[in-house]
Amino acid sequence: MPFPYHKINGQDIAHFRTIIGEERIVEKEAVKKEYHHDEMPEYGVYAPDLLIEAINKEEISQIMKYAYEKNIPVTVRGAGTGLAGGATCKYGGILLSVMKMNRILGVDMDNMTITTEPGALLSEVADAASAAGLFYPPDPGERTASIGGTVVTNAGGMRAVKYGVTRDYVRAIEAVLPDGEIVNFSSNVVKNTTGYDLKDLVIGSEGTLCILTQVTLKLIAKPKLTWSLVIPYDSIEHCISTVPKLLKMSFVPTAIEFTETDVLDMVEKHLNKRFPDRSSDAYLIVMLDANTKEEMEKMVEEAAGTAIGAGAKDVLISNTAERSASVWSVRAGTLEGLKADSLSQEECDVVVPRSKIAEYVLEAKKISKKHGIRIVTVGHAGDGNIHTELLKDPHLTEQEWKVNTHACLEELYAVSKRLGGQLSGEHGIGIGRLEHMRHFVGERMYRLFQSVKMVFDDKNILNPGKVVALDSKGRCGA
Amino acid sequence: MKIIVCIKQVPDSSDVAIDPESGTLIRMGQNAKTNPYDLYAIETALRIRDEVGGTVTALTMGPPQAEEMMRDAYMMGVDETVVMSDRKFAGSDVLATSYTLSQGIKMLEGADLIICGKQTTDGDTAQIGPAIAEHLDIPHVAWVKSLEEVNDRFIAVVHQMSGHVQVSEMPYPCLITVDKDIFVPRLPSYKTKLSTREKEVRFLSFADLPDKNLSRFGIIGSPTQVDKMFPPEAAEGQVHIEGNSVEKANRLVALLSEAKIL
Amino acid sequence: MNFIHFDVDKCSLCHVCIEKCPFDALHMGEKGIEVGEACRMCGICVKACPEGAIRFEQKAGQADKSQWSGILVFAEQEQGEIHPVTLELIGEARRLGGPKGYEVNVALIGGEGTAERAEMLKRYGVDKIYAYEHEALGSFKADSYTKVMADCITRMQPSVVLVGATALGRSLAPRLATRFHTGLTADCTKLEMRENTDLVQIRPAFGGNVMAQILSTESRPQFATVRHKVMDAPERSAVATGEVVFCEVAEEMVSSAIKVRSVHAAERSCGIEEEDVLVVAGRGVKDEKGMELVKALADVLGGQVCCTRALVEEGYGDPTRQIGLSGRTVKPKLIVTCGVSGSIQFASGMKNSECIVAIDADPEALIFNIAHYCINDDLYEVIPPLVERLKQKKEVCSHAFSLS
Repeated sequence: MPFPYHKINGQDIAHFRTIIGEERIVEKEAVKKEYHHDEMPEYGVYAPDLLIEAINKEEISQIMKYAYEKNIPVTVRGAGTGLAGGATCKYGGILLSVMKMNRILGVDMDNMTITTEPGALLSEVADAASAAGLFYPPDPGERTASIGGTVVTNAGGMRAVKYGVTRDYVRAIEAVLPDGEIVNFSSNVVKNTTGYDLKDLVIGSEGTLCILTQVTLKLIAKPKLTWSLVIPYDSIEHCISTVPKLLKMSFVPTAIEFTETDVLDMVEKHLNKRFPDRSSDAYLIVMLDANTKEEMEKMVEEAAGTAIGAGAKDVLISNTAERSASVWSVRAGTLEGLKADSLSQEECDVVVPRSKIAEYVLEAKKISKKHGIRIVTVGHAGDGNIHTELLKDPHLTEQEWKVNTHACLEELYAVSKRLGGQLSGEHGIGIGRLEHMRHFVGERMYRLFQSVKMVFDDKNILNPGKVVALDSKGRCGA
Repeated sequence: MKIIVCIKQVPDSSDVAIDPESGTLIRMGQNAKTNPYDLYAIETALRIRDEVGGTVTALTMGPPQAEEMMRDAYMMGVDETVVMSDRKFAGSDVLATSYTLSQGIKMLEGADLIICGKQTTDGDTAQIGPAIAEHLDIPHVAWVKSLEEVNDRFIAVVHQMSGHVQVSEMPYPCLITVDKDIFVPRLPSYKTKLSTREKEVRFLSFADLPDKNLSRFGIIGSPTQVDKMFPPEAAEGQVHIEGNSVEKANRLVALLSEAKIL
Repeated sequence: MNFIHFDVDKCSLCHVCIEKCPFDALHMGEKGIEVGEACRMCGICVKACPEGAIRFEQKAGQADKSQWSGILVFAEQEQGEIHPVTLELIGEARRLGGPKGYEVNVALIGGEGTAERAEMLKRYGVDKIYAYEHEALGSFKADSYTKVMADCITRMQPSVVLVGATALGRSLAPRLATRFHTGLTADCTKLEMRENTDLVQIRPAFGGNVMAQILSTESRPQFATVRHKVMDAPERSAVATGEVVFCEVAEEMVSSAIKVRSVHAAERSCGIEEEDVLVVAGRGVKDEKGMELVKALADVLGGQVCCTRALVEEGYGDPTRQIGLSGRTVKPKLIVTCGVSGSIQFASGMKNSECIVAIDADPEALIFNIAHYCINDDLYEVIPPLVERLKQKKEVCSHAFSLS
């Protein structure tokens, strides 16, 4: 029976020792606590029974063959920087770290690709690309994430406006299936109509379908100049309504973010990071890439004309590294500032059509008022991915906070759905969003999800209890 | 109040290296920008002007390309810009540069307040400000971290000393050098760019200056010479400290003392 | 003196400068005004001249090197305490001047108690200690300190003047070097003296990416500022060899346009980002006693306590002092990690620290990959003797100045 799972015993450990070196197997009590959770312990703290650090796909294959036969759950883990509770052992079993598989296998200049093992950090991959004079655009902010983790969560980040998300850069994946077989999803080709595109299914699957052991990523030419514009507005409505206009320009901005004065207050108060302009209530921050100064100046002209035409008070130009740092370090400190300003937080990362951002933000403000929970919206105005932070103020009891945030979340997700949005634009489902998933996508779609999971992982041993839930028999639907 | 801010155009990256073969400087960054520390000086000047009234003039010594930096200064809100540019100024060290700038300030009929950034990112000497004050025979305070009081008669500033902070007051004319983070420098404004498009950048050459004694300018007027440049020694490797706990503790203190970290 | 230059075309021989000179250094000579040995470079005459005929001037290429010998060290005092960089400068001056048999003299300027403190410097192998004591010199004023130092330099005519590259030193030295129309090299990390007394000055440039070697071959004195903790301080000698020279402080020297409103101890910045020394408690700290050890270490090092995320979760750490990805990014001069495993998330918040000391019981701890000094041991065993040793060292240092 697939459930309950087989509890790891001394015999199992002895077997793993024949496959893996002694020093790369850590038993339950000795496993460090950081392996019990990711960056959001709020979504669960679970102790693995065994931590194994693999160094190649053959080891992983052998581990999976045994785990499949014995019915032992296996959860793959990269750098542990997830924000949805994805890389935790919800049902115990093996935590399989791929962080020792961190070799970057090389940049292919002719194909403009980089091939790497999953444990290399995003920053290392980006640096290797840069050293070759090329550019790997996805930048979800968390640069110490493992590259494998960014692929299986389809990491986004603010540059998605111009460059798209991780999915748009994955050429080929080598992976181990739950039964231990090693397979390749696509290859280093630009087009592929060879059957179902399972590679795209694997991207963003949060480690529930297979274990990524190698990935080939597309690179592009590196832009020579990056400037940012800070655009002040007197009202959030004018601010947000500029976004679709900026997207209709003759070029695509790299990123469009928005922030409001109360957020800037919090960052200033708690982190002592001051924004270079505090004269206005709402701001758009627009990032532009270009190859020559002339090209950049033209882009600035067009963007400034568009913004001022749409009600902006001015357009402030950040054209050096220091100036950009003064802008972006405040933006990067937002989450920490919010955390410092409240006792507890809950987050939802919905994505809505870009034309609906203003409507969503205004609805969020109404929901905030209705339930007496402070809600702050910040984020990626350019791609409609809005980080909606619910903040606990001291006057709320634990019970009020719990009940009211739940009510807020339900309404926020409903608004997103009504506006044609999605439950999660970034970070994935993991455990954190699981309870809202079924209702959001609908029964038929949820069953499809479950069926896909079972096609890859019929015993439900790979990262069980994430993305789709187990039923009472330990099965995953179908 | 008349405020002069002394600024400098620097390479946009201090990411340089020495070619181990030829011993010459390899500059990575090709573009130029305003010395980042000078932006704090400009911001301080603009805030004082906005509070007390008056004008802000940006002054630099450098090649004609410094005009571009002055356009940026206009976009930040300064009222007037002056570039001192002449081949005769080439090769100036601190003494000659500060003298040239002090001559420029005299040409502009002086100022109530002169503000400099704490240092540049290419020279790192932090000497120009006090040297200008000496040439002009006016008092100065360096390393100003905040303003305590400014009015049309005097300025009182808070400045960092080794273990203390001191609050000093000076009448005008005087000079201050401001530390990083005194204020967050404002960004150049597109609207101001449009409104200052017609403003000219004034150029001064050697021939315009009151002192025509060539021996005080450029390389002839510079007592210091850069003899050579070379790459820094590579950092030392890792030290593993062995022994029992007491030995380790003692060894660590000895090593840290030797390395002058303690 | 070759610094005071009279423009004969402008001079009307009105005698105003002769009358105003507080040092009685100007005389009417056969060809006009002459400057005598008593000149202290105070600049009164320059300001007093109604014709604008007098200026300081020493053209590059004019100094007669034989007229300048010995090394003068500026001894910085702040609120009645001699800055420790002073001893390091004395040590360096002795090393540089030794082969030439150069005198090493010290200028000590300050308010009440300066003359007494001058006595403390006698046991470090210096020749003369010029002590300038005046109540108006109790706090730093760039203009009056420049006048006093100019007096001392004129008295001694040193080949080299060394000044600490402190906030005070870097405000004073450029002003002084300008007054003598000579070269100043900031933040030297290495000095050597050539046979012809030219000082070879090496300093980092371009943010430390490049080292520059700088010379002032034609002018004297040669000014250099040197940072604290770069040069070696000499041992304190049993016998006092130095002689204290009490120098008169003329009223003109202390007249200043600067008014010091107040001086107070620098406030500790609330954030850990600005600190020079940090001691980090990690999961190896199991209890309150462990936190006390870490605190004691931070105290003796003069730094602040920080923690890892793990310790915040254990309830011992303060979340506002958490280092790492979900906390602060720091770059102190010294960071000592105690019982920190060194996850990527932690390391990304501190790996650019100038010196990393890691203490951890696990030999495989990731922190040892980035640490400069590795101690593989239990923090409960190592910290107590470490604190003890550091206390001893501190006492020795504080005795250096207190025993005369």
